[in-house]
Amino acid sequence: MSAELPLRANLVVLENIAVVPQYVQNLSYLDAADVAWNLLLQVGYADAAYKRDPALTHEERFVAKLLRAVVGRPDLLLIDRPAMLLPDTRYPPFVDDVLRRLDDRLNHCWILDYRWNEPLYAPR
Amino acid sequence: MRGCYDSRMAWLSDFLIRRGTAALALLRTWQGILRFAAQALIAASTPAAYNSATRMVVMKQIYFTAWQILLPFTLFAALLSFVLIQIVVSTAARIGQSDFALEMSMRILVLEILPLVTALFVALRSSSAINTEVALMRIHNEIDALEEAGVDTLRMEFMPRVIGGVVSVLALTAITSVLALVLAYLAVYGFQLWSLPDFTRVMGKVFDAAIMTGIWLKSLAFGLAVTIIPVAEGLATPRMLFMAPISVLRGMVRLFFVLMLIEVASLAFKYI
Repeated sequence: MSAELPLRANLVVLENIAVVPQYVQNLSYLDAADVAWNLLLQVGYADAAYKRDPALTHEERFVAKLLRAVVGRPDLLLIDRPAMLLPDTRYPPFVDDVLRRLDDRLNHCWILDYRWNEPLYAPR
Repeated sequence: MRGCYDSRMAWLSDFLIRRGTAALALLRTWQGILRFAAQALIAASTPAAYNSATRMVVMKQIYFTAWQILLPFTLFAALLSFVLIQIVVSTAARIGQSDFALEMSMRILVLEILPLVTALFVALRSSSAINTEVALMRIHNEIDALEEAGVDTLRMEFMPRVIGGVVSVLALTAITSVLALVLAYLAVYGFQLWSLPDFTRVMGKVFDAAIMTGIWLKSLAFGLAVTIIPVAEGLATPRMLFMAPISVLRGMVRLFFVLMLIEVASLAFKYI
């Protein structure tokens, strides 16, 4: 996920996430929306479910993009320069927190950031 | 002398290069449109391409393209049909050809004007919107984002629009044509049912199998044109925001050109 891969503008967050299982796993809309809703609940962002992209805060947009990437259970999730997605947030703890909540759904997760931002992240 | 020859050759070479480049760009555009048309038609005829999301987009497209404009467009078509039928009926009466009034008005309205007006109406209302939306999707990278998430954008975004557009054009043409038939009956025979056998006989003569096939093929071609050209044009938009209006302008001009070409081809096929 990156700042260069936006959400689909005419779909709400729930639909943006649900569209992936609808196509990848051929789920019905209701089943796919359930999956998306549960993911939003899991990260604590269910309030953003029916918002479209322009109405989202940076954090909500980040979470929506993250869940769209996570819902397909990729082998590797790459978060490209999170600061570009979260300009007004102290992002390392925020990203850590969201990823921790999604721990059971992630295989490998890499965060790509500039070397000079390395001290911002907690040691792993 | 030699200098004059060289300057003329340079001018000719420059002219040919510029014209040739423009011609190649135009050919590439039409190649893109035809390639997209082939992809969309292949996807549309593949049952596996349909899932719940595709069906939902098809329904939305039909709702926005046909259902939302059904009442105003039907009223407009009724008014247009009524005026044209009255003109044909009164002109036929003046020149002593009343027997042909019904046939003439049906040939003008159902075979030629109503399918074209429907296609133009859908083009103005939906094609421009589709062209703009696809151009913005491309400029904002939304297509790549969906592909990256594993979503086939041809199945999700483009093929449903083509199917919805075709169904909408066919449905609106059918509805307005039936309405024109009713109005023509009322204009020629008045408010009574006794002349229904005469009316049916004339309609049977006008709408033989070849003509009916022709109407459906023409409406199908209109339906494909009003969706395929705007989508293909939107997909060919360079990733610069200021190119969005230029893309829509080009798409609409090409669409108008193709609609007229289909109409002329249909007229030539029927009457020449």
